[in-house]
Amino acid sequence: MSEFEPNIVAFLCNWCSYAGADLAGTSRAQYPPNVKVIRVMCSSRINPLFLINTLQQGADGVLIGGCHPGDCHYVQGNYFARRKFGLIKSLMEQVGVDPARVKMAWVSASEGSKFAELIQELSDELREIGPMEQFKRRDEL
Amino acid sequence: MITEIREAVKEYLARDDVKYAIGYEKGTYGSKVAPSFAFSPKDVDKFIFSPLCINNLAVYPLLEEKLPLPRGQTAEKSKIVVVLKGCDSKAMLQIINEKGLSRDDIIIIGVSCSGVIDPKKLQAKFPNSPIDAAYKDGKFLLLVNGEEQHISKDELIFEKCKVCENPNPVIYDLLVGEKVEPKVDDFTDVTARKDDKPEERWNHWGQEFDRCIRCYACRGVCPMCYCKKCIAEELRPAWIGRSVNLSENTAWNLIRAYHLAGRCIDCGECERVCPMDLPLRELNRKMAKDVFELFDYKAGINLDGKPVLAVYKPDDPEDFIL
Repeated sequence: MSEFEPNIVAFLCNWCSYAGADLAGTSRAQYPPNVKVIRVMCSSRINPLFLINTLQQGADGVLIGGCHPGDCHYVQGNYFARRKFGLIKSLMEQVGVDPARVKMAWVSASEGSKFAELIQELSDELREIGPMEQFKRRDEL
Repeated sequence: MITEIREAVKEYLARDDVKYAIGYEKGTYGSKVAPSFAFSPKDVDKFIFSPLCINNLAVYPLLEEKLPLPRGQTAEKSKIVVVLKGCDSKAMLQIINEKGLSRDDIIIIGVSCSGVIDPKKLQAKFPNSPIDAAYKDGKFLLLVNGEEQHISKDELIFEKCKVCENPNPVIYDLLVGEKVEPKVDDFTDVTARKDDKPEERWNHWGQEFDRCIRCYACRGVCPMCYCKKCIAEELRPAWIGRSVNLSENTAWNLIRAYHLAGRCIDCGECERVCPMDLPLRELNRKMAKDVFELFDYKAGINLDGKPVLAVYKPDDPEDFIL
């Protein structure tokens, strides 16, 4: 193990981003295998606790994928998600979490290539920053 | 000022629908002031109001357990009289706004406040001496061991009072005291470190969070933390581990600040009671600043304002989204 491989967790909304990631797969777009996808029904399902917990449990970066504004299956879910995410991101930045570790993107079902590019970019960035050590849970004992 | 409060409370207590009144009384030692509960008019004579009355009394009506009544019955006595300073009244307004309490059940005696004394600064200046305080000509008049001392406000005033935008109560049934000129809040404490790199910020905050002992005093004293079950106690899933270490402390402090986003009215109680002196207000104020800048909302000002995270505008800022 010479080079650090980042561990990315992506919370993708069922209706747009997850389908977008699926499209990236079916259209055989190349992107790094560092991402673990968790499907949620809507981007507003994502509680800010998820982000903190994910970073605690050893992820180096978190990505939230939601539908473009106006495209939400539940009409307004992504608007709420946008408000919540803006606040938790700036709070994390205030205490010193690198802004590159916490990201949100609008990925529609037809943007498979955008998803692939996002993961490529994110993993390149994280490879530069290095592992998340700040408040990762350590096994005590 | 205090005679006015006492008389008003006595009048309210004589009414049939008033349960009790909450005010301040002299504490048992040093300069401490304690909350005081008056059930009959004769209890009211111990009420005081001085620059040492720093506690936020808005939290107490929430702590009372209200047992469900049989159907069709209403409580005989339901109203609570509470003495609130400017910042405390914002907390009460926010609680009423969130329907934590009913406006009909609260009688607010609002007190215009020109700043309170920081007990930590006082302790540093006069260690362990019995102190009484009063307002006099724009200064604090202290009675230290029987000696009178005039001290300028800047020296002892609580940090939050230096940037207080609402020294006059925003919601009240009876207003006591003269109107005080509001100050301007420029959030310099929040932006002080804005040019630092993430590592430098974490060097600071990591050390702070590492000191946290998770006594949850910040939660206990906060007028906005009144969930029946806190996520810190949640077991399935256990979002925040019980162990006291840097990781869990960070998670707790971040979530505490986040849950106060758009709700914190900056009464500064969390920072006052923190036994480890963590700068908790900075996190709360960071959230308040963001909420104001992003969504143009201030907590505890409008009674009809919807919670900021329960509404949206289609054109909310989204420059942080890829």
